[in-house]
Amino acid sequence: MHVPDGFLSPAICVLMYAISIAFLIWSWRKARFTYSRSLAPLLAVSSAFVFAAQMINFPILYGTSGHLVGGTFLSVILGPYAAILSMTVVLMMQALFFADGGIFTFGANVFNMAVIGGLSFFLVRFLTKDPKRSGRLFLSIFITSLVSVVLGALACGLQIGFSPVFSEAGGVAVTVPAMLFWHVLIGLGEAAITATLISQLHRLQPTVLSGLAILRGKLE
Amino acid sequence: MKRYLKALILILVCLAVLTPFASNCPDGLEKVAETLGIEEHTPAWTGLMSDYTLPTIDDPYVSTLLAGTFGIFLVLGVAFVLGIAVTKPDKR
Repeated sequence: MHVPDGFLSPAICVLMYAISIAFLIWSWRKARFTYSRSLAPLLAVSSAFVFAAQMINFPILYGTSGHLVGGTFLSVILGPYAAILSMTVVLMMQALFFADGGIFTFGANVFNMAVIGGLSFFLVRFLTKDPKRSGRLFLSIFITSLVSVVLGALACGLQIGFSPVFSEAGGVAVTVPAMLFWHVLIGLGEAAITATLISQLHRLQPTVLSGLAILRGKLE
Repeated sequence: MKRYLKALILILVCLAVLTPFASNCPDGLEKVAETLGIEEHTPAWTGLMSDYTLPTIDDPYVSTLLAGTFGIFLVLGVAFVLGIAVTKPDKR
């Protein structure tokens, strides 16, 4: 879902930078009041994991592939604020060193994956209600992972659809349904992987996960 | 700290094992662009390791694995510094 340079109009690039920077300042400020120093190694390892996972594309249908985005994964592990910052680090390194996602489109990519991914925490919390019942928690994580990828794809479809390169090919009426079609399928992969990973981590390391701690009201 | 080291080793092993099975097909967005006949231009900034390969190494597996390992440590380092910057030292 990484938008390369050349796909978006300058106005949309600027708008998405402005929105994303506002969310980054917000999550930075919130993070300062939320986490203890023990966040640092967890943030480092989970960011590194998401970077690695995004390299492994899984095939879906008709010669198309997708990869784990990991937004909901990070938000459940780290909580919403650190998840936004973590995914932004991953996206920044991808854009700077690996030409995966453009420099001008970086703001849009941060919004589509980091901001939507991080905020998906609140959907997990809303759907879970009582986080001590782990079955309900994993179901919420499954649904939220799917929703976060589909919402990211919707945002991406709108961004490209309103940009001149794609408006000649039909604009949002074409790009939004096409993006949604592929990303519902990719989102199901995302949901299965995320729910599996979190349930295993929950079994092995229930105490280190700040996101789960926030879910259970131990932080904040 | 030991469990984080274990997790890091696990990530590197998984990358090494799964890389050969990763799909080279276009992803969702690339497919949409392709279907609409829109070509991706060579970007102004191509990075050092475009498409997760090292330009000097011919073997695609080794090249991707090295680029990936570099990226993992890069992200690890930057995220750790960020984690320090955004939190206060523990009061004891």
